[in-house]
Amino acid sequence: MNPSLKLFLVLIISLEISFKANLWANLIIIISCIIYLLAHKISPKNLLLLIAVPLLAAIAMFTSIYLASPSKVIFAWVLFTRIYAFVFAGACVTQTTTITQLAYSLEKNFKLPSKFVYGTLAAFNVFPKIKEEVIRIQVAGEMRGLYLSFWSPRLYFKAILAAINWADDLTQGMTSHGYRENQPRSIIQKIPLTKKDWLIFVAILTIFQPILFLT
Amino acid sequence: MKKIHVRDIILIALIAIIFAVIYVASDNVYNFLTVLLSPIGYGSLANDITMGIWCMAGPVAGFLVRLPLSGFLGEFLGAALETFMMAQWGAANLLSGLIQGFGSELGFTLTGYKVYNTFTLFLSATTTTIITFLYDFFKNGYNQYPVYKMFIYFGVRWISMIIFCCILVKLITNLLEKAHIIKNAQD
Repeated sequence: MNPSLKLFLVLIISLEISFKANLWANLIIIISCIIYLLAHKISPKNLLLLIAVPLLAAIAMFTSIYLASPSKVIFAWVLFTRIYAFVFAGACVTQTTTITQLAYSLEKNFKLPSKFVYGTLAAFNVFPKIKEEVIRIQVAGEMRGLYLSFWSPRLYFKAILAAINWADDLTQGMTSHGYRENQPRSIIQKIPLTKKDWLIFVAILTIFQPILFLT
Repeated sequence: MKKIHVRDIILIALIAIIFAVIYVASDNVYNFLTVLLSPIGYGSLANDITMGIWCMAGPVAGFLVRLPLSGFLGEFLGAALETFMMAQWGAANLLSGLIQGFGSELGFTLTGYKVYNTFTLFLSATTTTIITFLYDFFKNGYNQYPVYKMFIYFGVRWISMIIFCCILVKLITNLLEKAHIIKNAQD
C-alpha cells in the first residue's frame, strides 16, 4: 500500500478510537495489525518489544480507572487495549515503511513542499550524531563536576548551539549539491499511488465504521 | 512576513530531535512515577507530571525561529521522527505531536508572532495545557473521573507546563540571548 495512504489510514483510525470507547474495535485493530505485521515478517524480538515497552503505561491507564471505580472495569480495559491499538497501528506504518519512502511519497503523491521533506530527512539522518553530542556534553559537564540532566538549561543551550551549526552546514551541503527550494525536481524513484491503494483505503475505513459505532 | 526556509526546517527538526533524545534518556522518571502512582490509582498522573518536559521543543523552536508554523513543527516533527525511531510509542505519539504542536503554536499566534517574552511562553504553555487536556479528556479517559480529580490532573499538567515550557525555556533562551544566538538565528 502507498506509504502516505497507510499513514493517513492509521491516523484516522487512531483519532477515532481516541474518542470512541469500544473494546471490540480496539481488539479487532490489535489482532488485524498483528496479522499484518506477521505477514510482513516482523522479527519476534520487535514484536516482543512492542508488547513489553508500553505495558507499564497501559497498566497505569487501567489502574487509574479500575482502582477509583471497579464498576468501570470494561472502560479500564478499553483504555488498556487502546494503548496497544495505537502501538500496533503505528507499527504497521513504521515497521513496513522507511521514513525516506514516506517522505518521498508525501512529496510526490500529496504535494508536500520539498523543503519540508528534505529538511526533515537531513535532520533525521544526523540523529546518531545528535545522540553522541548530547552524551558528549553531559560527559564534558561531569568532568567539571556538573551533572547536566533534563532540568539543566545549560545542556539544552549547548545542544542548540551544535544544532545551529549543523543546520548551517547541512543547508550549505544541500545547496552545493544542487538543492533549490521551490524549484521543480526530477524524479528518479517513483512511488506509485494506484486505484487499488485508494480502494483498500476506502474499504478498510468503511468496514471499520460499523465495527466502531455499532458493536 | 518572512517565509520559512529549508535551514529553518532543518534547525527546527534538529531541536525537536535534541529534546526527544534528552527526554527519552530521562524516560525512567516517567516509569518511576508510574510505578509509584499506579497502586494509589493515580498512574496516569505520571503523564501529566512529565507533560512539560515532553512539550519543550515547540516553544523553543517558536522562540528561536520566530516564524509561523515553527512552534507546531518543533513539536510535530519531533513526534513524527520518534514514531519511526521508537516504534513502541506508536500512532498515539504522532497524534499527540499534532495536538501538542497545535497548542504550542496557538500561544505564538495569539501574540501575532510579534511579542517574544516570558508572557508569550506562559501563553503558549497555557494553550498547550488546554488543548492537550481536552484531547486526553477523551483519550486517557479523564472524562470518567470525579470532578475534583479532573481539576487535580489539569492543575498538575498546567504546573508542569509552566515549570518546563515557560520557566526552563526562558532560562534556555536567556542563555541564547546572552550568546547573541537568538539575534543570529534571525539572519
